[in-house]
Amino acid sequence: MRKTWTIIRLQLKGFFKSPGSIVLMFVLPVLFSLIFGGMVANSEENKPLVNIVAKQDENSTRIVELLKKNNHFEWKKVSFAQAKKNVAEQDAIAAVVIPTKIQQRMIDKSPLFDIIVQRKTEDYLALYPHLQGTAELIAASYQAVGIQGEELFPKLLEAVASNQGIKVEQQLLQADDSTQTSINLMIVGFAIMFMMFGLSGAASTILDERIGGTWGRLMVSPASKLQISLGYLLSYFLMGWIQFAVLMAVMNILFDTTWGNLAYLIPFASLVILTVVGFGLMIAGLVKTKQQASAISAVLIVSTCMLGGVYWPIDFVPELMQKLALAVPQSWVMSGFKEIISGSLHVETLLKDTLALLGFSCLFFFIGLRGIKFE
Amino acid sequence: MNMLTVGELRKSFGVIAAVNGVSFAVEKGESFGLLGPNGAGKSTIINMITGLFPPTSGAVHMKDIDVIKNTKQAQKLIGVVPQEIALYQSMSARENLKFWGRMYDLSGSTLEKSVDEVLEIIGLTERAKDKVETFSGGMKRRVNIGAAILHRPELLIMDEPTVGIDPQSRNHILETVKRLNSEGMTIIYTSHYMEEVEYLCERIGIIDHGELIALGTLHELRETIGDHSKIVLSLDNKTSNHEIIPQTLTGHFLEKDIQLNDNQLIIFHKDPQFILSDLIQSVTSTGTKVTSVDIIEPNLESVFLHLTGRSLRD
Ligand SMILES: Nc1ncnc2c1ncn2[C@@H]1O[C@H](COP(=O)(O)OP(=O)(O)O)[C@@H](O)[C@H]1O
Ligand SMILES: [Mg+2]
Repeated sequence: MRKTWTIIRLQLKGFFKSPGSIVLMFVLPVLFSLIFGGMVANSEENKPLVNIVAKQDENSTRIVELLKKNNHFEWKKVSFAQAKKNVAEQDAIAAVVIPTKIQQRMIDKSPLFDIIVQRKTEDYLALYPHLQGTAELIAASYQAVGIQGEELFPKLLEAVASNQGIKVEQQLLQADDSTQTSINLMIVGFAIMFMMFGLSGAASTILDERIGGTWGRLMVSPASKLQISLGYLLSYFLMGWIQFAVLMAVMNILFDTTWGNLAYLIPFASLVILTVVGFGLMIAGLVKTKQQASAISAVLIVSTCMLGGVYWPIDFVPELMQKLALAVPQSWVMSGFKEIISGSLHVETLLKDTLALLGFSCLFFFIGLRGIKFE
Repeated sequence: MNMLTVGELRKSFGVIAAVNGVSFAVEKGESFGLLGPNGAGKSTIINMITGLFPPTSGAVHMKDIDVIKNTKQAQKLIGVVPQEIALYQSMSARENLKFWGRMYDLSGSTLEKSVDEVLEIIGLTERAKDKVETFSGGMKRRVNIGAAILHRPELLIMDEPTVGIDPQSRNHILETVKRLNSEGMTIIYTSHYMEEVEYLCERIGIIDHGELIALGTLHELRETIGDHSKIVLSLDNKTSNHEIIPQTLTGHFLEKDIQLNDNQLIIFHKDPQFILSDLIQSVTSTGTKVTSVDIIEPNLESVFLHLTGRSLRD
């Protein structure tokens, strides 16, 4: 075991001393995550602006609250003149004017809100159903309390506005959650992709070592094949874990990202890393030189990552592609991480992902170990 | 007991018979040389002895250990200096030595002490902290040897340990090997430089095309070509009747010991100093001027030439 540990230390030191490995394993995944994650986050922040013109009375306040429940838009209360100006200059996609005598409108069955709009943009078309829905909600509420008396109406609006159970609200919450999960999944995906690059590079240094003679020298030393193989394999496994753990921790510290239940994450990530080690070993076993290894792995990694839903959620692609994706380990990796990170933890799905990855690992190790010449 | 016994060793790579029935034995404390041109099969023999790969057929025993069956056990007894510079280039000399020492079961203060001693032996104590990749060819070769002697092996097997280095480093290495041998370490040394094996080795095997074509002490090998020196006379090419020279010499020399190539007359003889003046006189009496004389003492080069008709380095 001491010899194994000596080999592990040497390999880790060699790997993490090389600037190339650091860039590949840490810098690139963080950069990719920042850029792509930033794009998603940005599109959240660049919400279209909607102006509201309303009095300070209780009913208006409640209605404003109700409108603001839709957080796909940024809502801003302004004066009527300002609203007209903003819309004219297209700073706001529209302005909603809540009339002072809203009850009168309801009695008249005339439109509840006045809307100032310059151009019917896509954003406006997305806004319209929400305004319509809100108006209907208010009208229905008024009808429900109409007979009892006017003073009850604001109370009802308050209840409606604070109700967490209304349908719109729920959809919004879900949408929000899944965006966060998909950003997190993307980070994990990039980490895994670059880990594949890093570890197949590391494993193919065996080929260089064969040519350089250090491999042969190890083989004629009293260290056994088992000690040597374990040394190399464990060093790759640790390289993978170090990268994964550091990236997860950095993301957690910088962006407060959460990674789900660690009791599930750690074993599953270990299996994923094992599969990646197997992949690297397979590449190294299939080719003769390190150059060949990096050429093959570049093509294989990028194409399987695309297919396996590392760059975009697998649900976005046609069904046929989704079927094909099952043939690459990444789809199972992403599926498993999704269960864990989103917290949904469907045991059955997770079990399937685990079994599939075990299968891939066995296959990769089988091919890889057969291809490595112990001489 | 022999330190190493090799019997009818064969290795084929596909259709190429790289080693074709080689047998020899090396005694304890001996320094044994394998001399042969590039591609002769030296490394293949070494790789089978060290257990890197098994022979196609044949036997290798280290003391009484069957190397093919109990490879790891045998490997504990030996130190191997591979033909390549088998070191981690981005690590320092000390880190390399420590790593290889650990592979040979050294640890703790024993390891530290051994590394310091070896650095002293290979003359790199001052450069111990520098990365191997910054070293000259000769320095790398010295570390390459150092990594094989950390555990004080009973048998040191060196495969062309001086390829591509400066004369100073070469001398340093030869001296080191000589000293290790005089301290009792058994040495197997391969080379295609005959001067090295002549200087180092008590017994020498000559390898060509995967076969052992001669085996013996330097003296015994010289005997096989009659221990004759080679006298080379360069002839003035203004005179053109060179052809008659051999005839005028047949009274003094055997016909097989006389060769004439254009302007060169080559004579093989045991005692060149006795016959040299007579020889020159006989040649000049034919009207040919002698422009220079070279006497080449019999060496492994001429043995190889004699056995194969080729020179060692072509
Ligand atoms: N792994 C191999 N595959 C095929 N041929 C080989 C291999 N190793 C050596 N050979 C061939 O075997 C012969 C002997 O090679 P080698 O033992 O390296 O010679 P030397 O060490 O004396 O220069 C050469 O013809 C070489 O091409
Ligand atoms: Mg060789």
